[in-house]
Amino acid sequence: MMDNSTHVTVNTTDCEAVEIPHEIFFAIAMVSLTENLLVVVAVIKNKNLHSPMYCFICSLSIFNMTASVSKTWENIMIVFSKMGHLYSRGELAMKMDDVMDGLVCMSFLGSIFSLLAIAVDRYITVFHALRYHTIMTMKRVAAILAGIWIFCAASGVLMAIFSHYTIIMTCFIVLFLISLALIMFLYVHMFLLARTHARKIASLPGNTDHQKHNMKGAITLAILFGVFIACWSPFFFHLLLIMICPLNPYCECYRSLFQVNVILLMCNSLIDPFIYAFRSVELRSTFRKMFCCSGDIFCHAIQCLQLNSNIRLQ
Amino acid sequence: MSENSRISNTTSRQAASPPDYVWEYEYYDYEPVSFEGLKAHRYSIVIGFWVGLAVFVIFMFFILTLLTKTGAPHQENPEPSGKHHCMNSFAVDFRRSQESDKVLSRQVVEESRSLFHCYINEVEHLGTAKLDSKASGLKHSSLHTGETLGDNKLDEEMNLAKFNIPNFVSSEQSSTLGDDDLLLCEQPITLNNNADDSSASNPKTSSQNPQLRSQTPHGLF
Repeated sequence: MMDNSTHVTVNTTDCEAVEIPHEIFFAIAMVSLTENLLVVVAVIKNKNLHSPMYCFICSLSIFNMTASVSKTWENIMIVFSKMGHLYSRGELAMKMDDVMDGLVCMSFLGSIFSLLAIAVDRYITVFHALRYHTIMTMKRVAAILAGIWIFCAASGVLMAIFSHYTIIMTCFIVLFLISLALIMFLYVHMFLLARTHARKIASLPGNTDHQKHNMKGAITLAILFGVFIACWSPFFFHLLLIMICPLNPYCECYRSLFQVNVILLMCNSLIDPFIYAFRSVELRSTFRKMFCCSGDIFCHAIQCLQLNSNIRLQ
Repeated sequence: MSENSRISNTTSRQAASPPDYVWEYEYYDYEPVSFEGLKAHRYSIVIGFWVGLAVFVIFMFFILTLLTKTGAPHQENPEPSGKHHCMNSFAVDFRRSQESDKVLSRQVVEESRSLFHCYINEVEHLGTAKLDSKASGLKHSSLHTGETLGDNKLDEEMNLAKFNIPNFVSSEQSSTLGDDDLLLCEQPITLNNNADDSSASNPKTSSQNPQLRSQTPHGLF
């Protein structure tokens, strides 16, 4: 909270809003923007990556980029206003504020729906493997993505305009909870099947320890869920508390950590490429080719990373 | 969410002037909250929330690891009568077992043979045979080929197993892929290139990839 003189009667036990320096916001936003841009460019450039799974990952990256851009823009506005460069003409500033709020809502909703789409795509891959290419045609993928984008844009506009009404907040929170429940169900079901397969394969001669593989799958799932829950739920709990107990001092103390919650959301944009996009060997090799001019230091660094990851796989 | 207050508190206390638009992060301006007489620590909700979140994530992780160690609760076994029937009417062809079976005990081989023949018949009748608990005791790779008979779901599952088999048997690298890399990397491309750029640089391989992709699942975990 920028305004330090909010409360005329300052109580000694007041929960002051925790401020996070602008540099941290900018740094996280820039890194997340770079990563997601790399992912988008790599998916577009490489023809092998024009598959439904990578289309959804690309969509997730675009939404993360939108979130980073809008948060950065807002941060810049705040810095300018603090330094006095921004003339706070009511209407223009409010309109810009509305646009940015709409963008932020759209990108957050879009991230959630993209994650859900990725989970559904993986689910169909596992449980309907032979019919996958008839179920997930590129036309349907385009339709799904168009639907997600249109819905998120409309929701962003609605939320920015009508954010005062609690029904909007309730819808937002309910959407988040439903998406979380669906994602957990899909992944746990897939995990159970993968474990069953591992057990069958373990019965073959020459197998390795399937317990170790199941443990890896469990760790992967835990990371997926853990990051999603840890990054998204503080913010949504904040929204919930605003609706439920706006005047309660305890809730006020939670709400004083608003900037921390926003930073967590931006961290989610930063971490998502690592747990979705960068796990793919094909994507990593595309990066290597993108950066690799012969004799380049960067090229050597990426080659070392590739080598290490190959050794790790072996 | 929307983070800018429409009316700042300071300007609201300056009467008569139009409210300046202040760029802040806290959108919702309420009356000052009284902090007197708090019984618990003022950050108790914050602490409670984060502790609850951590407990939930750790609990979920433990549930997942427990699932890796215990048996599958979703195993759908064939009817016990059918199983009994299979167990009782096994053929005595185990003497013609292959060399790979010699490492097994006779009982397991008998059981595997009998169940193999039995399931060929059962799957045609029932159409939904789940072979989880049996598979653990069976060490014959041809059984997996036999398991591909049956309905679509079973077919798909077994084809998944069938397509996974070369990964886990042929080379050590692919055998270490396991669930983890199955669910995160794209499988046909990891199969095709031990070197990373062979699939993209080789047009033949890349044209074959969609074919492979249509048959094998995307790498997931």
